[in-house]
Amino acid sequence: MIDQRIFEDLQTKIDEETTVRDAGLRRLFSQGHTLPLLISPVLDDAAVEILAQKQEVLRLKAVADQHPFYKYNALWTRELQNLVTSIELCAWLGGLQEHKGLSSASFLTIEEVGKFLEIPVNLKEEDAFHLTIEEYLLALISVVEELSRLAVNSVTLGDYDRPLQIGNFIKDLFAGFQLLNLKNDILRKRSDGIKYSVKKVEDVVYDLSLRGLVPKGSAAA
Amino acid sequence: MGTKRSWEGQAVVKMDSTESASPTISIFENFRDELDEHHDRRERIIKASRDITALSKKIIFALQRVRTTGQPIPPNITQENDARLEQIHKHFASIVTDLVGIKSCRYQRQISGGVQEFIEAISFDHYLRTETLITHAEVVARLPGILVTEEDYLMGIFDLTGEMMRFAVTALSSGKVTPTDAAKAGVLVDLRAIRARCEALSVPGRHRAFMYKDLAKKKEVMQNSVEKVERAAYGILVRGSERPSGWTPDLSAPVEVDTH
Repeated sequence: MIDQRIFEDLQTKIDEETTVRDAGLRRLFSQGHTLPLLISPVLDDAAVEILAQKQEVLRLKAVADQHPFYKYNALWTRELQNLVTSIELCAWLGGLQEHKGLSSASFLTIEEVGKFLEIPVNLKEEDAFHLTIEEYLLALISVVEELSRLAVNSVTLGDYDRPLQIGNFIKDLFAGFQLLNLKNDILRKRSDGIKYSVKKVEDVVYDLSLRGLVPKGSAAA
Repeated sequence: MGTKRSWEGQAVVKMDSTESASPTISIFENFRDELDEHHDRRERIIKASRDITALSKKIIFALQRVRTTGQPIPPNITQENDARLEQIHKHFASIVTDLVGIKSCRYQRQISGGVQEFIEAISFDHYLRTETLITHAEVVARLPGILVTEEDYLMGIFDLTGEMMRFAVTALSSGKVTPTDAAKAGVLVDLRAIRARCEALSVPGRHRAFMYKDLAKKKEVMQNSVEKVERAAYGILVRGSERPSGWTPDLSAPVEVDTH
């Protein structure tokens, strides 16, 4: 005898999960694209956008907090990473200064990002919405990639000092990433790419110094 | 206190990494510790899951030696399997703390292989003894502290149909059950009921990409299993008298789909 109720319960559960999933999807999809941050006048615009997205994150948090975190985390993780990348870029370029804490790191620490977005970070026991270490690190890798592009483009725009600052910054991050014992996962794959970004910026710096274009008293002189 | 010197007599300046390190380094050292903790835990769970899977498979093999339904399992088989169950519970107990709270969903994918195989084993045992399908709640009750999702349950039940198929075909070909009886009650009827209900479950497409990934494949295997029993019953009824003694229906078509 097969108890028919077993399957009715299963159907209810599947329907329930689908509803949650759709609700989560609508929150952040199509909104989290990396913002164009290539020139400093857009920093204010970027900050406005970021603050608007922060509200979206808080709305997402309200929904996500009612469900097991890791069950649905995959739905928004990319968008959240993109937002953190935008925040870090904006801050590194001089925006969002009022949110930079007292830490001496040249980037916003995971705690500072969490404080800015008003969400918890790296929760290990409590099952609630938060920013994970992996998401934060993946966002930093995108920052490195984006800045290595900026190094090239700022030379084109006549700014010969910025590539040196970028070079120092991403080498610092690169050294950090080398401390991690990574397994064969997405973090490993993405962080393997950092060395190419470092090389790209070093090539720019080399080209500049070879032609005597490095400004005196700059970071790498 | 004297200064530490190298054997050439020079003072050794201690290279203390934490003292001279940039803030970035200490931040990342913290990340490293956190990630190591995560990877270690993940590996412990994977290992337990594999051991549980292997033990569950052995339980199922032993149960395939049972020849009747609706009766207690013979003591010699019970004895073997009880020892295996005990080991399985030890494995589960060893990782319960790795799977509390937020961690239960985080590592669900790592443990779910073991959980599904375990469900297959206990549901088969349950079916043989009682001729009923074990419920999700009953499974949950047997695994305190472990998250058993509906998906795990359903996948375990799909695998159960494969075992029921084997059991039914062996029973039919041993001649103890006549095909006409089999079509009226018992394993074949129950298999058909499970098949019909599983086919009726609707899992939306977008949901399927995210969860219930193996659903389509498992469903096909399950449909196959049911048909095999139907064909076996038919074959024995029609050609029964012609069949040489000791002949069993061909089960060599693809049946098992291993998923991890």
